[in-house]
Amino acid sequence: METNHTEEKSSLIKRFWWLALLLIAAVVAPFVISEFYLAIFGEALIMSLLALSFNLLFGYMGQLSFGQAAFYGISGYTVAMLITKVHFNFWLSIAAGIIVAAFLGLIIGIFCVRLRGIYFSILTIAFGQLIYFVVYKWHDFTGGDDGIQGVYPPELLNSPVNYYFFILIVFILSAFLMWRIVNSPFGITLKSMRENSERTEFLGISIFRYQLLAFIIAAAFAGLAGALWAPFYRSMAPSALFWVKSAEPVNAAILGGPFLFFGPIFGMFIMTFFHAWVLAYTVFWAFIMGVLILVVIFFLPGGMLGFAQGKLNDRRENKNLRAEDQSPIGDKNTKTPTF
Amino acid sequence: MSFDVLFNQFMSGIARAALLFLVASGLSLTFGVLRVLNFAHGSLYMLGAFLTYSIWKFLLMPSLGFYMATLLASLIMAGIGLLIEFFLLRRIYSRGWPEQLLATYALILIITDIVKWGWGGEFLSIPRPEPFTGAVSLFGFPFPSYNFFIILLGLALVVFLWWLVYKTRLGDIIRAAASDREMVSALGIPIPWLFTWIFVLGAFIAGMSGAVAAPFGAIRLGMDVEIIIECFAVVVIGGMGSLPGTLLGAFIIGEVYSFGIMFKPELALAFIFIVMAIVLIIRPWGIFGRPER
Repeated sequence: METNHTEEKSSLIKRFWWLALLLIAAVVAPFVISEFYLAIFGEALIMSLLALSFNLLFGYMGQLSFGQAAFYGISGYTVAMLITKVHFNFWLSIAAGIIVAAFLGLIIGIFCVRLRGIYFSILTIAFGQLIYFVVYKWHDFTGGDDGIQGVYPPELLNSPVNYYFFILIVFILSAFLMWRIVNSPFGITLKSMRENSERTEFLGISIFRYQLLAFIIAAAFAGLAGALWAPFYRSMAPSALFWVKSAEPVNAAILGGPFLFFGPIFGMFIMTFFHAWVLAYTVFWAFIMGVLILVVIFFLPGGMLGFAQGKLNDRRENKNLRAEDQSPIGDKNTKTPTF
Repeated sequence: MSFDVLFNQFMSGIARAALLFLVASGLSLTFGVLRVLNFAHGSLYMLGAFLTYSIWKFLLMPSLGFYMATLLASLIMAGIGLLIEFFLLRRIYSRGWPEQLLATYALILIITDIVKWGWGGEFLSIPRPEPFTGAVSLFGFPFPSYNFFIILLGLALVVFLWWLVYKTRLGDIIRAAASDREMVSALGIPIPWLFTWIFVLGAFIAGMSGAVAAPFGAIRLGMDVEIIIECFAVVVIGGMGSLPGTLLGAFIIGEVYSFGIMFKPELALAFIFIVMAIVLIIRPWGIFGRPER
């Protein structure tokens, strides 16, 4: 096992060299690209956290949540209100945002994880809309459709470059944490529920408890994204909780590939940068996005990254007929992407 | 709280329920047969409203023009429904439901921008047509007579759909296909053909409900994503694919909204989702629905 260990390590390096390249690019970015594109980069990182949170439920657990924006928004509002109204400590506000989102995830999750398939999706929409309307209409407390302005981060993070690095560090840490979660026995149990929930239950595993825990974790990650967003954008608006916002991580996962860990991140980056770039030429962004989604659904099942990975694996196998990577958890990379 | 106030509120609820039924019945019918939850149904409704506005404006007849525009716009929407089913949905019936749902979600994005491109972002409106311009007095309260038109149209649609689903041969096939698609197919009935016509009928109903909703409120971008979630609430409460369920769901949502406005106007829409959540928790498949598989 000892020698295996080092071998495994070198194969990890072989497999993730591109990750190191991306990391270097992300660190160098602020000194190379314009402030406008740096802001887009930061937004893409934050929204990628939301996409990861969604995909824990969809790609791994097999439940399509259409209500992630509720957790994202409620956490953003918590941070915004704590900072602007009671001048609460920035770091504690972020923690509070995550805790509120996770708690909301617990309450909503208790009801939602009992349902399957499209009924789960619709109940998450219902709860999401319920929270949206409360925030939107409770003008005295939340500011209603005026939203909340003037959410400033502390002095240290006030410059765009510093806040960008703050987002980047938080993103790397949380993506790593999510990676550990989905590859832990817990994550593998979630996958087994996606494949066959009946059999998993026969093993003595409480589906309710596992799915509820996953729901809470996803809510907390969505909450983290919202907590980072409010001081980044300096404001919160109720549209952050509208169901259409919940569709963004769904689209990102479909575009990138829901069965790859990096699929939703890839999808979100494509969406965010494409959005910023297209808006310079046309206001009809939604049309292009809709066509893009249809193209991916029709011609690239498994998402862009999933499709590319599949092709790459085919070629590699043909080339030297060697067995796929050793890691027992490597199956998610070789799995032919299907819904 | 006197009786006449409550009655007036009840009647507004009925009018709202009638409009909701108009929109949701198409959604429910499509889901019942095709087993595809059409996210874009609200967008067809919105497109119907905008088309009605343009045709009405072109015809230069304030009242008669409205009825003609309604019919024309509904027919155009039926044609668009035909294209959508034939070129899009037909190709993904064999896929999982998440992909079907997202394909129809993509249509929301596409139709939103088509409307933005064709009509711009401003609010449009159509005056109420004769003979429904005025108001009638209900226990001393003014009640818009156009509401009666909506209610009558809703009732007419109930009767028509009931006749179609329970009294015709096509209805037998629809009900059979809703319960066992393969069996119907094995009997030699062309399922793809059935699916196309049901989707076309759903699109026609969506267009018509958008048309008659036009004088009811402003015609604007965003009316699609607002109505579709309310329609989800209606069909989920009643049971997806069930005609009596849709009727009951529309009634519940319409009344909850109407009385919600009376008690706490800010939270009227939130009440809808509370009711929806309660029903989904107790009976996930809805009041008249049956459990999946």
